[in-house]
Amino acid sequence: MAGHAHYREAHPLVFVITHWINLICMIMLAFSGFYIHYPFFGGFMGVARGMHFVAMYVIIINLTFRIIAAFFVKTATDLGSHQVDTDIKNWLPQEKNKHQFFETVKYYIFLRKEAVISAKYGSLQKIAYLATIPLTYLMAYTGFAIYGPTMTWGLFSGGVEMVGGPMNMRIIHYFMMWVFIVFTMIHAYLANIYNFKPSKIIFAWKESE
Amino acid sequence: MAQEAHGAIYDLLAVRGVSRRDFLKYCSYVAAMLGLSEAAAPAIAAAVEKGSKLKPALWLNGGSCTGCTESMAQVDSPDVATIVLELLSLNYFETVMAAAGEHAEKNIQDTIAAGGYLLIYEGSVMTGEDGNTLLVNGHKGTDILKEAAESADAIIAVGACAVDGGWVAAHPNPAGATGVQAFLDVEGVKTPVVNIPCCPMNPEWVVAMVVQWLLVAEDDPATFLAKTELLGKSYDDRLTGRNVTLLYPKYVVGSTIHDNCPRRGHFENGDFVTEFGSAEEAMGYCLYKVGCKGPQTFTQCPITRWNRSVSWCVQSGAPCIGCGAISWVDNNTPFFKRLSSMQMGDGLGYVQPGSVAAVVGGVAAAALVAHGLGMKAAGRIGPDGPPTETVKKHDRKRQAKGGDK
Ligand code: HEM
Ligand code: HEM
Ligand code: HEM
Ligand code: SF4
Ligand code: SF4
Repeated sequence: MAGHAHYREAHPLVFVITHWINLICMIMLAFSGFYIHYPFFGGFMGVARGMHFVAMYVIIINLTFRIIAAFFVKTATDLGSHQVDTDIKNWLPQEKNKHQFFETVKYYIFLRKEAVISAKYGSLQKIAYLATIPLTYLMAYTGFAIYGPTMTWGLFSGGVEMVGGPMNMRIIHYFMMWVFIVFTMIHAYLANIYNFKPSKIIFAWKESE
Repeated sequence: MAQEAHGAIYDLLAVRGVSRRDFLKYCSYVAAMLGLSEAAAPAIAAAVEKGSKLKPALWLNGGSCTGCTESMAQVDSPDVATIVLELLSLNYFETVMAAAGEHAEKNIQDTIAAGGYLLIYEGSVMTGEDGNTLLVNGHKGTDILKEAAESADAIIAVGACAVDGGWVAAHPNPAGATGVQAFLDVEGVKTPVVNIPCCPMNPEWVVAMVVQWLLVAEDDPATFLAKTELLGKSYDDRLTGRNVTLLYPKYVVGSTIHDNCPRRGHFENGDFVTEFGSAEEAMGYCLYKVGCKGPQTFTQCPITRWNRSVSWCVQSGAPCIGCGAISWVDNNTPFFKRLSSMQMGDGLGYVQPGSVAAVVGGVAAAALVAHGLGMKAAGRIGPDGPPTETVKKHDRKRQAKGGDK
């Protein structure tokens, strides 16, 4: 799996760009989020909030665009392959991922030696990538629920009431930041554990054999 | 009409050394609270004068510290607010009335029997000990409230305790305390309740609601509700397990403290107090880092202010502790920390969200490092990666069993 070639078909330029936007927004949101949570140096609150409020719209638009594009853009069907098909098919679990979930888990906890057959993404990877979608929208929801201009909208005030008040909503938003941080840690780790070929393609769009 | 107004109210004001001009000024201040223009001031003055002679009221005390009464009575000089309230025909006001004993009880009973009064209720409704609290001559406090509520035109629940139980209802709530609305919902009493938040409540907000009643209600609760700008907020009452909708004056709960705070400029500029007693505190910087709950608290304190508009919490140098919020003690402690602590379970104590997050992040980082070392030890790392199966294990098993049917 990791020894295969990495061609541009795996991540066409649009997705390299959406990934960059994701990464930059996430860094901005997490940094400004940490600052809003507890201003650890002086003189930056206005900028931090401005940064948060811009990046939050960008990341939502970017994610929504990424999902829509999955129905139109073609990506490689398999690891190290030039053959392409509509991205959404490669994104959702496929025939090749069947019966592989527990085998993948076993592989990663060293209960089996050989790596497992997967499609473009392994079954765990697909679960993780799909989970980021509702997670990001939920993050946006909890964010708008503590955002002055929107928090009185019925859609959001109902949620605030459900969790027992705006303080609790802030704590949920804060905890969810950590979910993203842990996700990104695991994600960056797994993406680069074998070698940096996957990063070369997703960041620099450079192919490697 | 009001220009010519004189009579009982002006005599009373004059005795207290309050001029007619002061009174009208106060009326325009009340007008602003009610969302009316200053032009409404004479009408308010007229309504107060007319209504004050007519409207009977009861002030009952529930489970509380009597701080709201204290807030009302803090005056050291003539104060229009107290005079206006005094002009209500307050037939019963435990803490300050002259009557006592049977005579006072009779005042309650007579007022209830006659009906058509305003009920001002201060304090939580304590349902613990089978309601055997606040006993007056053998009558349970909860029964007195129910009886008085049923025949009232409207109820003004004053202070956080009357709103949702306040600090009396804080975990673990041994008194079984709850708010007036939650209690009346259970008892099926439909009399409208207007809630005045904070601990203690702000006297000006109570006056504004009394004046509003005198001004628009025409002694009819439905008219009062239709003509008053109210905002409904729901919450899940922990004691009764019900979803309760509280009506507040919109003016009081329409925006956050943070949005109206005079220190907001410091907040935006990132000028924060990190420690009490520091130079930053002396410069009046924003109190966000020392636990100010202003951003999450929806009350009008910075505008109305307290003690006859002399000052308020943040102006006097203390972070807002969020006493205008629902479940305010449980939701806003510790007072000097930005986020509230979470209870880990009965007897297990409390923990700050940041501590939980740091542990989770640390464990994840350590696990990844350990996993990476394992991957290296297993010889999986390198340009070629680990050996990969050529057939899925599932398929191998099936083939071993004889393949597809
Ligand atoms: C996706 C859409 C998002 C929206 C709409 C949003 C919105 C907000 C808003 C309105 C605030 C309150 C700011 C203030 O009152 O000054 C906030 C705070 C915060 N945000 Fe976000 N945000 C989003 C995403 C994120 C992400 C992705 C992260 C982290 C990875 C994050 C981390 C934080 C943190 C830590 C706080 C401070 C919470 C506190 O301690 O009170 N946010 N966010
Ligand atoms: C027992 C736990 C887990 C196991 C065994 C596991 C296993 C795997 C495997 C086998 C891959 C494919 C790697 C590759 O061949 O490139 C993968 C990828 C991935 N996993 Fe997991 N995973 C686990 C938990 C998680 C969690 C909790 C998250 C996120 C919250 C996550 C996020 C990812 C991501 C983002 C990728 C894509 C990495 C890449 O781009 O190559 N995983 N995981
Ligand atoms: C430390 C920073 C990051 C690194 C090093 C990194 C690396 C990578 C790599 C190498 C891939 C290609 C995976 C493969 O081909 O198997 C990838 C894909 C992906 N990453 Fe990241 N990533 C980072 C941050 C993020 C963040 C913050 C997010 C969003 C929360 C994210 C979401 C994704 C998604 C959804 C994919 C799938 C690609 C697609 O089809 O759009 N990544 N990342
Ligand atoms: S002192 Fe409190 S309410 Fe005022 S600006 Fe700072 S955080 Fe907001
Ligand atoms: S500023 Fe905060 S703590 Fe002070 S009275 Fe208002 S809500 Fe309560």
